[in-house]
Amino acid sequence: MKRYDLVPGLLGAAAGAIFAASPAVAADSFMDVGKQAPITILINASPWYNGFESVVNLYEEQTGNKVNLDVTPFPGMLEKGRSAVRDPSKSPYDLININSTWTIEFYKGGFLDPMQDVDPNFQVPKEVLTLGDAGCWDDAKQFRTCKTGKLMGYAPNGNVELFYYRKDVFDQKGLKVPVTFDDVLANCKVLQDPPKSYGYLQRGEKGDSIYYDWMAYMLSYGAQDVKDAENGDFTVTINSPQAKAALDKYIEIGHKCGPANAGTLGQGDLIQLIQTGKGMQAQGVVAAFPNFDNPQKSAVVGKIYASVLPRATADGHPGAAIGSWVFGIPKNASAEGKKGAIAFSKWFLTYKAQYAYAEGGGIPVRGDVFDSDLKKQDKFRWMQAYEDEIPYGKQVFGYAESAQVTNALGLRLNQALIGELTSAQALNKAAEDFYEIFQKSGRKTGKIAPLPE
Amino acid sequence: MLLILLTVYPILNLIGMSVSTIGFQAAREVWSFTPARNFQDLIDDDIFRTALWNTLVFAVVAVTIEIVLGLTLAILVASVSRFKGLVRTVLIVPILMPPVAIGSMWKLMYSLDFGVLNQIVTSFGLQPVNWLGSTLLALFSIIIVDVWHWTPFVFLILFAAVEGLPKEVIEAARIDGARNRELVFKIIIPLMKPALAVAVLFRIILAFKVFDEVFLLTSGGPGTSTEVVSLHLYKVFFEQNQMGYGALLSLAIIAATIAFLWVGQRAASAVGAR
Repeated sequence: MKRYDLVPGLLGAAAGAIFAASPAVAADSFMDVGKQAPITILINASPWYNGFESVVNLYEEQTGNKVNLDVTPFPGMLEKGRSAVRDPSKSPYDLININSTWTIEFYKGGFLDPMQDVDPNFQVPKEVLTLGDAGCWDDAKQFRTCKTGKLMGYAPNGNVELFYYRKDVFDQKGLKVPVTFDDVLANCKVLQDPPKSYGYLQRGEKGDSIYYDWMAYMLSYGAQDVKDAENGDFTVTINSPQAKAALDKYIEIGHKCGPANAGTLGQGDLIQLIQTGKGMQAQGVVAAFPNFDNPQKSAVVGKIYASVLPRATADGHPGAAIGSWVFGIPKNASAEGKKGAIAFSKWFLTYKAQYAYAEGGGIPVRGDVFDSDLKKQDKFRWMQAYEDEIPYGKQVFGYAESAQVTNALGLRLNQALIGELTSAQALNKAAEDFYEIFQKSGRKTGKIAPLPE
Repeated sequence: MLLILLTVYPILNLIGMSVSTIGFQAAREVWSFTPARNFQDLIDDDIFRTALWNTLVFAVVAVTIEIVLGLTLAILVASVSRFKGLVRTVLIVPILMPPVAIGSMWKLMYSLDFGVLNQIVTSFGLQPVNWLGSTLLALFSIIIVDVWHWTPFVFLILFAAVEGLPKEVIEAARIDGARNRELVFKIIIPLMKPALAVAVLFRIILAFKVFDEVFLLTSGGPGTSTEVVSLHLYKVFFEQNQMGYGALLSLAIIAATIAFLWVGQRAASAVGAR
């Protein structure tokens, strides 16, 4: 800075200090977390990453504290997290982002410090969405619950799936936003014209993709994985008639409304098909929305609208599976790193930071940000749908065996979708897989009558 | 001594893991001795059996095509008098490419909606082909990528062998009136047996370990149609976090590879003796 530049700079700083001291402006300013040691965060390169990066830049700018980001693709996140927390010397990360499905392994293994053990004053603001208690762990119950458990982390993003549709095409063809999956099928008859356009896109790729997208059906049809995990009853119910109805409908829609490669459709493919104007209706994660309005990538800017997911029956509820992440502090992080991680967390969960996070393309986790003026902006036209759907949000597989269970389910569902197994065979096999997993881990488990094959 | 230690210790550790269940409590490893349970898991693991079968099909079909193509190319390139160096350089490009680049490139080419292969297919008025999404085609599509990737490796080994063949034997055969076909099948190929054996051995071992192409293109799907042993092992170890059973699976894969090579060697010896 040249010398003469210092004068307005100093005047500005002085004015800023005076304004910051006045209560009205102080409430509106960013939280002061003091000088902290640099921290390193393990973060995933998911569709909402840009929003997170922008808010981290803002944190550095506002506080002068340094944050290093290790940006990792989804498949590498679990292993990097594991290596870090199992390191006998010191974790390279001070804050790690863990997919909610994997959290139990970290909680149960004792790899994370409860947040209030690091800072007894740390509180998640009441406006922050609990997202199915993904960040709490009750070691005695071996279950994720904030009622009796300890706070192990908090969600930096609350992902649920929304129903996306081409509003311009709907208006042109006089279609209505579907309420039920049968309405989806009815719309699809008008919209399906492969390979030019696809009536409904949903992920069918083996593994996490298919099980997560099928949750929209499973939860809406009233099916459950196990009877009552929270209270220790792990009787397997994944092969219930409700689950079969859910799977049959998922397969029917996949075959009648999707592309020929419905069984290998992943998140990237789905976003690409919508961006190129081929996807007419779809279910996709809320974090994907900014991709549709990005003029550098999308041919359908301003044309994709969001609504609540379809449901099994008109008087039923949507099956909103929460696919959140959880920020946790490794037990083996340095003391100053832990302190820095808490400081960042406090700042990140403030209204101002969450507002900026949303503006940058992230999915905020504070309810009051959804009630803000952002909702009126066209760019955030997904917010109303998210707000309407989140009350139905449910965390699934909240127990220690979740990685094995979802792995088995992701295969069996895919086998049913591609016709390697019938829906009844697939669910019966999944039930057998689950039963073996729970038996090995010593759970109180059992089976229900298998579905007729 | 250090080398022996570095080789022996991991194997002993793997054996130790294979008879244990490994968990974590209070951020520390907890080992329990469960050999019977791990063996029972192996017996019950129907995905492993499917993966083993797919790996066998993959190894046999891919390596056979690679050997035939590699040999043909080696003989053809050796017979040209000009631009031999240039042809050899161009042919080896695929082995120099990083596997991730190969996976991304072929995934784009195979794309149902946007891939260049389907653009060609549809330009002839045909329906797009579901290269990676059909249970009948997916393994075949991966084999094509493997053939494209590894035929140059076979070519390099066999080309060096063809170039090293004694010229006088080939000349003598020509003078005796041997036609090209007889020359190839009765003189060149028998003389190249050691080089062919090396190429087959290397390729079989690598084909049994195939991972990157499958992981990047299909992740073992659709269903179990492209599930291979290395990928299954990866899932057991890293996704399901079953380290004890994963170790046993590793040993089973090593045993299966050795058994396959042993059977192959016996078969080759029997053919050679005839």
